[in-house]
Amino acid sequence: MDDRPHKAHRPAQSGNKHEKKEKGKGKQKQHGFNEKAFAPKSGRRADRQGRRNVERDQTRLHVPLVNRTPDDDPPPVIIAIVGPSGVGKTTLLKSLVRRYSKQTLNEAKGPITIVSGKKRRLTFIECNNDLNSMIDIGKIADLVLLMVDGSFGFEMETFEFLNILQSHGFPKVIGILTHLDLIKKAQTLKDTKKALKKRFWTEIYQGAKLFYLSGVLNGRYPDTEIMNLSRFISVMKFRPLVFRNTHPYLLADRLEDLTPREEVRSSKGKCDRTVTVYGYVRGTNLRLGTKVHIPGVGDLEMSGVTVLGDPCPLPTAESEKKRKLSEKKKLLIHAPMSDVGGVMYDKDAVWVNVPGSFTRGNTDVPQGEGEQMVMDLQDVNQTLEDRVAQSSIRLFGTSSQALRVDPTSSASDDEDEDDFDVSGSEEEDESGIDSEDDDEEEGEDEDEEIPRNAQNTGRQGRRTVTRSLPSSVKERTDIQYAESDSDLGEDEDQFTSRRVRMDDEEGDHDIPSDEDDEDEEAEEDDDEESIPKWKSNLSSRAQQLAENSRKPKRKDWTKLIYTSTLTPDEILHGQKQTEVDEDEDDFFQVKKKAADEEDAEALDKSKEPVDVEALKKWEDEEMLDSIRRLFITGGDTVGEDDEGTFQDEEGGFGAEDEDGEGGGGEDEEGDEAGPSHSKPKDGKLSRAEALARKKEILKRKFDEQYDDPESAKTDFYTEKKDEMAQQLALNRAEFEGVDAEARALVEGFRPGQYVRVELRNVPCEMINNFDPTFPIVVGGLLPAEERFGIVQVRIKRHRWFTRTLKTNDPLIFSLGWRRFQSIPIYSLDDHSIRMRMLKYTPEHMHCYATFYGPVTLPNTGFCAFNSLGADTPGFRVSATGVVLDIDRSAKIVKKIKLTGTAYKIFRNTAFIKDMFTTALEVAKFEGANIRTVSGIRGQIKKALPKPDGAFRATFEDKILKSDIIFLRAWYSIQPRKFYNPVTSLLLSEKSSWTGMRLTGQIRRDEGLKTPLNVNSTYKKVERAPRRFNPLIVPKKLQAALPYASKPKLMKPQKHMTYLQKRAVVMEPEEKKALALMQQIRALRKDQVARRHEKKEEKKAERAKKLEKEEAKKAEKEKEKKKDVMRIAGQRSKREAEMQEGGGRGKRRKT
Amino acid sequence: MAQPVSLVHFSGHNHLRNRLVLSILSGKYVRIDKIRSEDKNPGLRDYEISLLRLLEKFTNGTVIEISVTGTAILLKPGIILGGTLQHECPTSRAIGYFLEPLIMLAPFAKKPVNVTLKGITTDEHDFSAYILRTVTLPHLQLFGISQGLELRIKKRGAAPGGGGEVQFMCPIVKQVKTINFIDPGKIKRIRGVAHAVRVNPQFSNRMIEASRSILNRYIPDIYLYSDVYKGDESGKSPGYALTLLAESTTSAIYCSEAISEAGVAPEDIGLKATRALLTEIEKGGCVDEKHQTLVLLMMVLGSEDVGRCRMGEPTNKTIQFLRDIRSFFATSFKIVSADPSDPECSQLVYSCYGTGYVNANRTLA
Repeated sequence: MDDRPHKAHRPAQSGNKHEKKEKGKGKQKQHGFNEKAFAPKSGRRADRQGRRNVERDQTRLHVPLVNRTPDDDPPPVIIAIVGPSGVGKTTLLKSLVRRYSKQTLNEAKGPITIVSGKKRRLTFIECNNDLNSMIDIGKIADLVLLMVDGSFGFEMETFEFLNILQSHGFPKVIGILTHLDLIKKAQTLKDTKKALKKRFWTEIYQGAKLFYLSGVLNGRYPDTEIMNLSRFISVMKFRPLVFRNTHPYLLADRLEDLTPREEVRSSKGKCDRTVTVYGYVRGTNLRLGTKVHIPGVGDLEMSGVTVLGDPCPLPTAESEKKRKLSEKKKLLIHAPMSDVGGVMYDKDAVWVNVPGSFTRGNTDVPQGEGEQMVMDLQDVNQTLEDRVAQSSIRLFGTSSQALRVDPTSSASDDEDEDDFDVSGSEEEDESGIDSEDDDEEEGEDEDEEIPRNAQNTGRQGRRTVTRSLPSSVKERTDIQYAESDSDLGEDEDQFTSRRVRMDDEEGDHDIPSDEDDEDEEAEEDDDEESIPKWKSNLSSRAQQLAENSRKPKRKDWTKLIYTSTLTPDEILHGQKQTEVDEDEDDFFQVKKKAADEEDAEALDKSKEPVDVEALKKWEDEEMLDSIRRLFITGGDTVGEDDEGTFQDEEGGFGAEDEDGEGGGGEDEEGDEAGPSHSKPKDGKLSRAEALARKKEILKRKFDEQYDDPESAKTDFYTEKKDEMAQQLALNRAEFEGVDAEARALVEGFRPGQYVRVELRNVPCEMINNFDPTFPIVVGGLLPAEERFGIVQVRIKRHRWFTRTLKTNDPLIFSLGWRRFQSIPIYSLDDHSIRMRMLKYTPEHMHCYATFYGPVTLPNTGFCAFNSLGADTPGFRVSATGVVLDIDRSAKIVKKIKLTGTAYKIFRNTAFIKDMFTTALEVAKFEGANIRTVSGIRGQIKKALPKPDGAFRATFEDKILKSDIIFLRAWYSIQPRKFYNPVTSLLLSEKSSWTGMRLTGQIRRDEGLKTPLNVNSTYKKVERAPRRFNPLIVPKKLQAALPYASKPKLMKPQKHMTYLQKRAVVMEPEEKKALALMQQIRALRKDQVARRHEKKEEKKAERAKKLEKEEAKKAEKEKEKKKDVMRIAGQRSKREAEMQEGGGRGKRRKT
Repeated sequence: MAQPVSLVHFSGHNHLRNRLVLSILSGKYVRIDKIRSEDKNPGLRDYEISLLRLLEKFTNGTVIEISVTGTAILLKPGIILGGTLQHECPTSRAIGYFLEPLIMLAPFAKKPVNVTLKGITTDEHDFSAYILRTVTLPHLQLFGISQGLELRIKKRGAAPGGGGEVQFMCPIVKQVKTINFIDPGKIKRIRGVAHAVRVNPQFSNRMIEASRSILNRYIPDIYLYSDVYKGDESGKSPGYALTLLAESTTSAIYCSEAISEAGVAPEDIGLKATRALLTEIEKGGCVDEKHQTLVLLMMVLGSEDVGRCRMGEPTNKTIQFLRDIRSFFATSFKIVSADPSDPECSQLVYSCYGTGYVNANRTLA
């Protein structure tokens, strides 16, 4: 619309305007706002303004939430691009990737990670139009780019997705309108934008950001528009969402199958697989030993987690100096599932695309010997085993001589070679990782290395595939002695058992957390290139050894407890054993010990028996005096022995601080103070120093309070925030110096680390039917969430879902990480007495639902669906709600009414039958309240012997024989134990998952009719007219009756009465008057008739006119329809084009 | 349908209580076999059976399978229910044996706990009711469990006969707080109770006298109460005991206890308790040695932050407990010396990263 050239502005050369401008030129421009203009004019106004400001500040506050994502090296932000098909998602993704990394993707599949700034990386992922993908994406996306076809309007999927987001914590959403170039008229464009914006705002919040992308240039959106969008993305701030802040998760950007090929082959690809997934840890720390859930697959056990080198690292300190991100960093892109840089990771292979390369079918090109050989190798379609079975073996079809070898030796030879190969390559990989780890050393050549590293980390998992794991590990342990110890790969510590690792470190004798030691190790690392490790620190070792012999050794508790197999007793007392038996024979030792120690009468007691002998020492006066320092009264009289001094000081601080928790700051101070005093010093000197410090603290405290008493007091909000910040600082500081392995053991894998998670027993369909366009989310489960139980939720049917939900109809829940089908029972709280079952969900109201399913923490939101299929007409989100309660049983009752009839009635007592069948049942209900239809209340008394199940009952009044007697009772029901995970990722046709059918659906499919109880049908009530016999009083009796009581029946009169038969003769005047009246009436009649006629005429005229108008309107309508059809035709044409490009799915207009 | 829940396997009857507690808290099945399988009297003892019964009552949906010989059990834990409950403890163990696991579980129940236990209140193996009230419960307060936390000793009951009664009340929490307890402080007060049931009331005074003869030299703030129960409240058997506790400026608590023995003078009992207290004080740390497991458990169950606590060397029980925690919660502790520069320092700092355990049993609204 803007292609018309605008007229350039020509400033006025003369006249009023010109003069004004000239005058203004000399004056200085005023900066900022005019203070006088905004000053309050009155005190009241000022007051009001002040109050308003305070209120506004309060509304700005949010509940402080701890952000578990570390500030340094956070994981990439996940940006999901969501929208219906054909709206331009892929185009946007390509444009954005090009904007950041200057690379053009041919095919964008799976997550794509790029570096966007010095502190931020982004992971883009395109969400396809499948509801399952939308649910999974909605749970992990930090920012959603919600794309809407501007020329078409909002579609159902958009609203469905927004509702999914809402129930799983609302991430940030930016709306993007595309296809605006299809709207030609400027006014229409403006109106459309306005209308769409309005709708978008009501859906998200007032003022939500909406972008407009105009047209497509060179298969991309215009660069300026994309740049604007990217700027918005880069400044976006994210508030932690509660669910993600309590669960670890990762978005897998790569997937490898590690199952031994042989196993796959022998089971024809049906065996359970061992799979590794790769991705950045997000949310909280990921711990080994917990379970994970992959939506669409199921709960899986993690058999190993390894930290890998970051394939897309943030710029380091060296490039930090510059203000901008260096150009080299911009080229960094990690997208294993797409074909970036000619490397494509398929589900079970890596394809390297070399342009203009050799192709197999190309027979006219002359082939060299090597090529020929490779091709022959490819031709081998039998396994070696099969070949061995045959008598003469020819390795290649073309080889002239048959191989003739002893089968066993050949096999072993082969294996050896392979093993050697593998270990070699792995070493290479490791070195790649290492070089990345200590990148400070390698400074400037790091940049060139990074792409290679990324490939390396990619390849290394791949290489191990063909190997059976244990053998390769054995190989490794052999080799590792040749290499340096510290180089031991991080990638396989799950295989090299911890014991081995502990053995070959010298750390057994010292404390690993000791800082000096760390430094030493660092030095060793530096040196290791030139000198073998064992030589490098001979002197220091000797020194250490000497030291060891001198001072009493300190135990390394962490190691003793967690990595040794010693019994607690041995750890505490039996030291001689522990030093020797770290070797392989400790197994036997332990066994013997355990057998000895297994004392059957050893009690599980909490009080340790007091050792009377040990208490003897307290009889000594000196001993008693030696602990005086531990009491407040003995604080300043320093103990005699110098090792007591330090403790004393620290205690002194504690007493000074007075606050029970001992805030982090003070502790740090105390710790730091420690070493400086550790050297044996003159007792006096240290005491003086301690005093000085104490004084200083006191002085500071006083100063603070005296100078500014207000500053000490902070409001609740800042206090909480400070507390959190302090705790976070402590979290960071506590494990700073610990080595990576121990750290992973204690705190798990931190968010932001790129890890490889190995999963066992993965269904083979996941690998066989792998499709990178469907996201793989690995969600960590809390210990409680691995269990199953009865979940009670508060639920509300979605107001756009057209049908009501029915108890005992299956419903698909998206709850926590999981998507599953279960069978809910709806209920309502009945006066807080009972949970009463409902057959259907109420309209416009919340109710409870109870179902069997995985335990999820209360207060977790969920949404539910009747079906996930794309062919479902209408809105698919059928309900939303929140989890209230977890239990193992449910207390839901449904009403049951037993009816009976009275067969004998005394005054207030009646005998009732047909309510029960046996006397036993009656006995169970003795004393129960019953009621008749008319409302007479009663009670069951006792069973009667004769008709089975009959009983005697008493009522408050006499009942009628025709009364029906009710007994209202409550029958408790339990939800069915049905849990069916939506295993959409296991299907070849991902969006065609079908679960348990709804009752109605089954009936439809099977052609069954809804069962109909004959007694429950509504029939027309036919009441025969009541006929009363005439009352006949005998003649005799009639005669005897007094007159007043006699029936007075009279026959109708047969003759005409006088009034009827008399003749009337009128006077002449009367006659005249009558004639006049008749004439007037006749006139009136005529008048009315004529008026009516006229009206009819007018009506006809009007009808004619209307008809004319109608015809005109119809013509217009026809024109309009034609227009619409034309547009639709164009659209469908475009869609067809899209479909050729892979887009599919139906479009549903809201 | 449902995936199999992970199972943790142990053998031997030791540490049974802690393992059951960890199983119920983590929801993992636990299988314990070889329970006294070599013994002349194999299988579970009566008090262990009673404990299992109590846990079954305390939870909903728990399935306990005991093998025919009684040498193996399988526990499929349900949810912790709480609420009002009564339990008759057998006289083979004291109430402390049963109450300790309940104290660990109670904050994570669905309903506030109100449990009445009947049996022996003081014996030589388990915490006496008084220690539970004055030492164990304050340790829970460190973790933010305080409102309505109470243990009422209604009746005392000495060793063989029993007849005591205590009422334990505990609120429920959403999540326990993370502690950072590094500074042990200095002892500022000493408290104690000398109780005597069905014996000469003078006995308690004699114990107090003996104890004061040692303690009076340290601080003036010493109150030792003489607590004599009479009549119905005194249980079925005679006995007396002295319980001492010392509190520091940072509210670290140390405790000791000595109970009556045949043929030993009350003065000696008093001295024994006092010297045990001094030993405990000398060991130092922020947490009493006997309460290490409770504090460590609560640290593991804290929010996903680093919790730190300074304690003495781990006991047998603690070491096994740490290992068990790792198999149930996949969390381990970093244990370093409290003062790396001092080779003589036997105190350790235990730090761990909490699992972010949230009370899933709690009902919302």
